[in-house]
Amino acid sequence: MLARIRSLLRALVSRRDFEAGMTEELRFHIEQYTDELVRSGIPPEEARRRARMDFGRVDTVKGDCREARGLMLFDELSREFRYAARLLRKTPGFTTTALLTVALCLGANLTIFAVIDSILLRPLPFPDAQRLVTLYNTYPKAGVERDGSSLTNYYERRGRTPAFSSLSIYRFGTAIVGEPGSTEREQTTHVSPDFFTTLGVGPFMGRGFTEQETTYQTNAVAILTYDYWRQHFNADPHVIGRQIRVDDLPKTVIGVLPPGFHLLSSQAQLYFPLASRPEDRAPRRRHAGGNVIQMIARLKPGATLDRAQSQIDAQNASLETDDPQAKMIADAGFRTIVTPLHADHVAAVRPTLLLLQAGVLVLLLIGTVNLANLLLIRANGRAKEIAVRQALGASRTHLVREVLVETTQITLFGGLIGLAVAAGGIRLLTVLGADRLPLGAQIAFDARLALAALLAAIAMGIALAMPIIWLHFRGSGNALRSETRSATTGRAAQTLKQGFVVAQIALAFVLLAGAGLLGLSLKRAMAIYPGFEADHVLTGQVSMIGKKYPAASAGLAFTDRLVDELDRQPGVLSAGVVNNVPFSGRSGKSAATVKGYVRRPGEPLLGHYSYGVGGDYFRAMGFHLRAGRFLKAADSRRPERVCVVDEDFARHYWPHTSPLGHQLFQGSEPGPDTEAFTVVGVVDSIKQAGLTDETAQGAVYYPYIYRPESDIFVVTRTSIPLESLRLTLQRVVRQVDPELSANDIQSMGDRIADSLVSRRSPALLAGLFCGIALLLTGIGTYGVLSYAVAQRGREIGVRMALGAQPSQIRTQFLTLALRLFIGGTALGSVGDWLTGKAMQSVLFHVPALSIFALGCAAGIMALISLVACLLPANRAARISPMQALAEQ
Amino acid sequence: MGKPAEILPGTLDMLILKAVSLEPLHGYGVLLRIRQISGDALEIPQGSLYPALYRLEHQGLLAAEWGQSENNRRAKYYTLTGAGRRRLREETAGWNRLVSAIAAALNTTSEEV
Repeated sequence: MLARIRSLLRALVSRRDFEAGMTEELRFHIEQYTDELVRSGIPPEEARRRARMDFGRVDTVKGDCREARGLMLFDELSREFRYAARLLRKTPGFTTTALLTVALCLGANLTIFAVIDSILLRPLPFPDAQRLVTLYNTYPKAGVERDGSSLTNYYERRGRTPAFSSLSIYRFGTAIVGEPGSTEREQTTHVSPDFFTTLGVGPFMGRGFTEQETTYQTNAVAILTYDYWRQHFNADPHVIGRQIRVDDLPKTVIGVLPPGFHLLSSQAQLYFPLASRPEDRAPRRRHAGGNVIQMIARLKPGATLDRAQSQIDAQNASLETDDPQAKMIADAGFRTIVTPLHADHVAAVRPTLLLLQAGVLVLLLIGTVNLANLLLIRANGRAKEIAVRQALGASRTHLVREVLVETTQITLFGGLIGLAVAAGGIRLLTVLGADRLPLGAQIAFDARLALAALLAAIAMGIALAMPIIWLHFRGSGNALRSETRSATTGRAAQTLKQGFVVAQIALAFVLLAGAGLLGLSLKRAMAIYPGFEADHVLTGQVSMIGKKYPAASAGLAFTDRLVDELDRQPGVLSAGVVNNVPFSGRSGKSAATVKGYVRRPGEPLLGHYSYGVGGDYFRAMGFHLRAGRFLKAADSRRPERVCVVDEDFARHYWPHTSPLGHQLFQGSEPGPDTEAFTVVGVVDSIKQAGLTDETAQGAVYYPYIYRPESDIFVVTRTSIPLESLRLTLQRVVRQVDPELSANDIQSMGDRIADSLVSRRSPALLAGLFCGIALLLTGIGTYGVLSYAVAQRGREIGVRMALGAQPSQIRTQFLTLALRLFIGGTALGSVGDWLTGKAMQSVLFHVPALSIFALGCAAGIMALISLVACLLPANRAARISPMQALAEQ
Repeated sequence: MGKPAEILPGTLDMLILKAVSLEPLHGYGVLLRIRQISGDALEIPQGSLYPALYRLEHQGLLAAEWGQSENNRRAKYYTLTGAGRRRLREETAGWNRLVSAIAAALNTTSEEV
């Protein structure tokens, strides 16, 4: 078999050589034979004639030889291909419409498919990646869905869970790397020694981390990614053992990772050991995860997820027996979830992506139906020719092949343009934020996509050929008869075409209503009040590097100076700092204990947003005061501890009284009275995680000194344009400490807008798909009605000659259009209801069957159908009886 | 010696393989060689020789290469491949079985029934 394919391919590839060789071989034969005849005494002239006669027709022999090589089919196909191409060139209008339809529909599908492929379908780049799982702690009743894992979890679990062959933890971070004066902020990952073993991919040069390197005294080692090694060490083969400075501390390079290594969506360039102290690993730190450290494990061959889950559950249960906090942990609904790593990483975007893919598939369906209709109309014109050819003995296979060649030719060329559309589409998606999706950086235009395009184009070509083949072969005599009388076309063909229009309208209606629901959700989300006045606020992040700011007091001194300096800048109304601005993407929670508050039986300890604020944070961010006062810069320096809570917090703990004057403690247990914070103010609740986050989480604001963090956000409210303040912010940070810089400078408005990208981009895309769908539906409806008018020209002529009014004719066609429209929208409404239900998870405050969205969709559809049918209906009404009859 | 006999259908491939198995040949040589080894008893229709050669080459039973003919012309020479040699062995054995079976059948006398 292989030999045959190879021989066919050789002949196909060097077709000219094949033909020349064959000609030469046959000529050689005839000449040899002639010579032999001459030798036997026959005169040369006669010998040549005899030789040619005995050999037979050279062309026939050549044909037989080609067939022996399997070339015949290709020759015929290429002939039919050329024939179809000629026909298509003769109708440029049709061909352009068809090609564009295929290109747009396939292009849109390929674009979304590229995203789905790289995010959902392609396995993670590790050996046996389907065996990788992640584990995280969850305390649902405390409002903490996801808390990562603790160091204690890691040290208690590794080697003790039989279902895992390996278990490891990692923590993302950033670090300042380089010599003083030429430093860069790099993304980093701190990992446990078995991290690379778990993934199955380790350094290709040097070694991985060891158990000894997990203490703060011995962790001065680093592993580089391939890219970092190439860019910063010029791919130095002797890099192992060289020193780099990380956060002002020397580290020795001990390994380099292979090209393309990356963990999930992380762009980390440097890997360090995840060091800790023995007390960090103690049982009482078991629930101190805070969603900072994540756990990955590899299932043993044959081990199932269920088995791993039950082993972890059993282990948790046995460990909790000696935990003094066991009751509280159980009340919080504590569990450790074991779930596939890949699926977990992309779980949030999965519904939206599948929804978009469904949307473009509907678009593809509309396009295909549209094209099928146009092709049917075209085929109708040739029905007589086909019928005659059939009557004269043309084989069915031949005719079928001819149709298939024609339709696949359209879809293949259209698919080619579609690939270009997809290339542009992927660009567009990047602008719309697709590269920020999990694994989104891996979205690429590659051979897989080209192959998908090829397969889709061929499938579409075959699908398009079906109705035409049906039309040609539904009783061959039929077509001949109905065409010779040329009065009306086959009723069945007309019904099929109208059915297609109804389907098209229904599909477009579903798409339109779906996009409407997304748009409405976006509008509702945008209308949500974030809890503060976001206009005119510029924010930026500053990271104070560890060594210089070891103590909270040094950090406080820096932030105070920063705020003072900012206050002095022209145009700055107020300035403050906070450890975490709203919409930063971080939404970690921690516990607070209200003095004197007794939890009801079974009531869990809640996680609250906890902020450390400095300067005039509340005014800078634009908070509204509900009671008491804001925190002041001076609160960090005064002996009495004060705090501000938000309304959700106040409502939860003091539903009937004013919270002012009450006291609370940081953490899950009450402390000595000297550590109690007195509530001095109540502010509006804000949206930390996103506008559509609706859990009343509660928030506590402490003075910076009591919640110091080295990563802080600077917040400034200004009266001047934000753009001009950007440079000022940079300059002031450098002025206060030349070694620091402000990163991630954004207005609060932009941060809020960014947080909606997962709603805005799908809505925009859906809108775009709808635009294309409406255009296609318009073309489809217009095409079918125009054709109906043209077909019935004679009938109309006769009726007008007998006294029918133009308005009657027009009404007749408008009625037809109305019937198609009503059929389509009725079907579409059912589809809408199902779509709305399927979309429920991505909708926000919008019912599955929104009357408003439906009404808008119906209105737009009605408008498109009306325009598409008014033109042909008017043409019908203007038909002159004399002309119509004379033409036939 | 009478007029050469037409070859039996289905035997052409076998004869070609046999001819080529003796030494590499060009198309015309195959014709001559079959005539020669059959004692001028078999004549191949010239028109069906080349399609058969192309088919056998396509099936990987023959390999073809351009070379010099005895009168210094460029000619395409066919040689037997390993697969071709196997096929020739099978076909020869099959043919011999068929011939002896037919011969046995034809030699049967009425007493033996």
